[in-house]
Amino acid sequence: MMAPPRGMPGGYGQQPGIILLREGTDTSQGKAQLISNINACGAVVDAVRSTLGPRGMDKLMYDGTKVTISNDGATIMKLLDIVHPAARVLAEISMSQDSEVGDGTTSVVLLAGEMLKQVKPFVEDGLHPQTIARGVRKAVGLISKRLAEVAVDMPPDQRRRRLEILAGTALNSKLIANYKDLFAPMVVDAVIALDPLLLDLKLVGVKKVPGGSVTDSFFVQGVAFKKTFSYAGFEQMTKSFDNAKVLCLNVELELKSEKENAEVRISDPDDYQSIVDAEWKIIYDKLALCVECGANVVLSKLPIGDLATQYFADRGLFCAGRVAADDLGRVCKATGAVIQTSVQDMDRPGVLGLCAHFEEKQVGGERYNVFTGCPAAKTATIVLRGGSEQFIEESHRSIHDALMIAKRGAGDSRVVGGGGAVEMELSRYLRVEGLKCDGKDQLVLCAVAKALEVIPTQLAQNSGFDPTDILNALRKKHLDEDGLWYGVDCDNEGIQDTLEKEIWEPALNKANSLLAACEAACVILKIDETVRNPRSQDPGAAAGGQTLQQQHARTSQAMGGRGMAGMMGRGGRGVRRLK
Amino acid sequence: MAMNLNMAGGAQGMMKEGSTLADGVDEAVLKNIGATKQLAKIVQSSLGPNGMKKLIINHLGKTLVSSDCGTIARELEVVHPAAQMVSMASAAQDSEVGDGTNLVVSFSGELLKLAEELLRTGLHTSEIVQGYELAYAECVRVLPELEVARVKNVRDAAEVAKAIEPVVAAKHEGVEGILSKVIADACVAVLPPAPEAPILKADQVRIAKLRGGDVASSTMMKGMIVMRPSETTVQQLEDRSKVVAFNCGVEMATTETKGTVLIRTADELINYNKSEERALEAIVKEIADSGVKLVISGGSVSEMAVHFLEKYQLMCLKITSKWELRRLCGATGCTALVRLGAPTPEEMGSVSKVSTKELGGRTVTVLEQLGDAQTKIATVVLRAATASLIDDLERAVDDGVNAVRMLCKDPRLLAGGGACEMELSKRLRDYCEASTGMDHYALAKFADAFEVVPRALAETSGLDQTKVIAELRDQHAAGDATAGVDLAATLSGGGTGAPVRDGYAVKESALRLAVDAAVTVLRVDQIIMSKPAGGPKK
Repeated sequence: MMAPPRGMPGGYGQQPGIILLREGTDTSQGKAQLISNINACGAVVDAVRSTLGPRGMDKLMYDGTKVTISNDGATIMKLLDIVHPAARVLAEISMSQDSEVGDGTTSVVLLAGEMLKQVKPFVEDGLHPQTIARGVRKAVGLISKRLAEVAVDMPPDQRRRRLEILAGTALNSKLIANYKDLFAPMVVDAVIALDPLLLDLKLVGVKKVPGGSVTDSFFVQGVAFKKTFSYAGFEQMTKSFDNAKVLCLNVELELKSEKENAEVRISDPDDYQSIVDAEWKIIYDKLALCVECGANVVLSKLPIGDLATQYFADRGLFCAGRVAADDLGRVCKATGAVIQTSVQDMDRPGVLGLCAHFEEKQVGGERYNVFTGCPAAKTATIVLRGGSEQFIEESHRSIHDALMIAKRGAGDSRVVGGGGAVEMELSRYLRVEGLKCDGKDQLVLCAVAKALEVIPTQLAQNSGFDPTDILNALRKKHLDEDGLWYGVDCDNEGIQDTLEKEIWEPALNKANSLLAACEAACVILKIDETVRNPRSQDPGAAAGGQTLQQQHARTSQAMGGRGMAGMMGRGGRGVRRLK
Repeated sequence: MAMNLNMAGGAQGMMKEGSTLADGVDEAVLKNIGATKQLAKIVQSSLGPNGMKKLIINHLGKTLVSSDCGTIARELEVVHPAAQMVSMASAAQDSEVGDGTNLVVSFSGELLKLAEELLRTGLHTSEIVQGYELAYAECVRVLPELEVARVKNVRDAAEVAKAIEPVVAAKHEGVEGILSKVIADACVAVLPPAPEAPILKADQVRIAKLRGGDVASSTMMKGMIVMRPSETTVQQLEDRSKVVAFNCGVEMATTETKGTVLIRTADELINYNKSEERALEAIVKEIADSGVKLVISGGSVSEMAVHFLEKYQLMCLKITSKWELRRLCGATGCTALVRLGAPTPEEMGSVSKVSTKELGGRTVTVLEQLGDAQTKIATVVLRAATASLIDDLERAVDDGVNAVRMLCKDPRLLAGGGACEMELSKRLRDYCEASTGMDHYALAKFADAFEVVPRALAETSGLDQTKVIAELRDQHAAGDATAGVDLAATLSGGGTGAPVRDGYAVKESALRLAVDAAVTVLRVDQIIMSKPAGGPKK
């Protein structure tokens, strides 16, 4: 995929083979290099193109051990393991979009790739890449402004409804689109449950339980986690409490030596029994303290042994040891408990957490500990069910995307119409603005305007419609006063007002993806030389993308050269001659 | 003229087998010049605001996209010995001044290229070297006369921002307006208060890179950003909280020597653990009683310690890097203690506001000094969509901070956009007219070499370089010493001279290093390379 080696004649042309760079280094530069970079990006775009939209297809990726089925742009990019440097830039923006916005990873890549594709003829015609990059940046500046103008600010009293629609739109293009009525409210409940200042999605637990049907998935306003490994005596425990007091520990409740570095030495054999008694006393004291503090449910990060389990069971308490740290953290957040590393001073207020109801429930083949009705409740759990592991994995990714969208939407109430409507509007606007410019900017602005149309085009194509027809209809409609929010109707061949049909996207996300796409396109346009150093482990080894034959050809060429090539002592193996 | 002594055979026989030797003008000097020319050619297209970027995959497989010459020269892994000298000169400029690295490579490359022409016409290297040194001396004499402006007050953020705009623009065009303001604010914030001399260390301005968002949302803040949340549940602090920093971990001290606790009675066994807990609690209580709200630990924080910190409602940050800890001490004004215990009031620092935020998908702790609270550390928060872009922005910020640092030392400014170089070229040509003897040729070439800057600027901007140079020569001849390439004029010919300014110190240092490098390369007449030793290649 690399550009052909640079073969232009040098200034004086009479120095054979001066070696400037380390052997094995591969360089390419000039227009050919740029074109090659753009083509590589095109290849990446083609890989994810078909996944866009509600009718987008999924990709199955097999990395030798694990099968992944996904239509999430970032996931695909990650698994594709792209080695081409320029294409990697493109992959990176999709991942940045994933971490910042969560959704729209495919459209970012598509947009950046299309921008590059549209300006490629200008590069071929000799327009300076800097001029193009400046034009692209100007174009994106213009449409960002326009986007802010047209974005619809939704009234705050419809916050919940708005978030549900946004989450629903995000889920539309996912595997679980058919169940969006089930999941969208769940996602919104989860986001609303969070601390509005921090909105830390880590506090939304998504638990995957294979088996059952998707419709068996449920939402817990609180925490749920899989029953931990438990010892004998577990059966006798009370497994359901109302108004439970929760104690979270970081203490091992087992009979064992307290410290590794302590040694007991006794001179009188009679003392032996007292030492044994002391050890028992230590553990019993600890257990007694746990019970005395008034807790009903005792959770610990560390193991709770069979002695303790039995002890608690006898006294009507519930206990669970080896609780995963993040689950325990969420229990703390939800109930207001504070993790105790020592059992010594637990009679203070503020140590125990509260929840309205605790229960151990059977979900599928697993038992779950469920805490609901928590007063602090800044956490939520979604339990996903489904037939196959891949299905649940993909559902998880989809839920994550929807959560991210709802989270962004929670902070900003402006929305735009989806289904390519906003892109069509921006495209129309940019075309008008473009014609107002003189000079080369005009070309670039119109090219970006055309590039924006890739979203509706691809939506139509993925839905099996004739993209040309749809696009023509949309272009015509967008010239009308009331055609602002017309986008592709993916269900019935044609166009529709997506704002009215409640296909919404947060304006913030759109602005972010436009900027990200612009940045990526500009970065690639501004590269005039690609240098690939050999990896430090294998100097002289193949720079990827070049065949072995090419390398050998180059090697022999370099070996033949006189002067420095011979001087380097390494025989010039795999060395590129720069001139 | 050339020294073709043809001693290769003899010398070769003298040395170990496998050694190679090249000497004379053809074998050594011209080869060396050829290599440096190539290096210059690679970086030249990155000169100026419209400079193109290079995509480099380094030996670790990391992708870099940059137009910063210092970075390019470093990552290219130049092996040719002569080219390496030039690359080292640019590295020296990078570490000393932090900007103008491209000028070093481009200018020395151009000097050598023109020297090659002279060599071909039959001049001796020593004559060229002499001429170049003479020309450099004249430049140094003339340069102070070319001063066009001065930064009057380095504590005025707006003025500083304007002065460093071209520096930032040269690295990352299009965002210079936003970035230079942010950089200037950050730099001015950490300058010592008025009566003291303004001294800035590049280390004082930190950069926090957050992927996601766009460049326009980059900001600066007084204080620091720590890339991790508090160890305890205390996440926010307001109103000038007191801070204590420990170089050691917050945990019970363990003996270095292997030791075993000997237990003799049952009571000892029962109390053993309790006493240790009590000891730690006593220390934490002592710290809390001293009024401290934030504990910074340079080592690990044991779970037991977290428990007690939580009990006394203290915030706790774990900083594993010693450097980072030192900077945090600078930002809050506290002294790092090496033993766990309550600090004296002098050892405590303070911070206006501590908050935990989620930025770009990461939870970070922000330590801010609000209002006019003094701080030695400011942070520039960079946002951009891709990792490679953000790395490049970081380099632009580094250059900007360095530019401010140099301005603090030397507030003089020169006309930018190639104007200064054109004027030097003109003055030198006048000087050359007056000189007689063999120096004349080298002087004339030195004057020509300056034109590489406006030429590169014109080329990367898509202008007709011949036309631009002709116009500029014309204007300078007419007495306009500040005429430079107008980069905004991409449609028609440039040359109207935008008010772009370059730092004096940067230019002076770049010229010196470039001439030094060029002269050193020219002075080499023999290259001897012994056979590389066996063993693993680097």
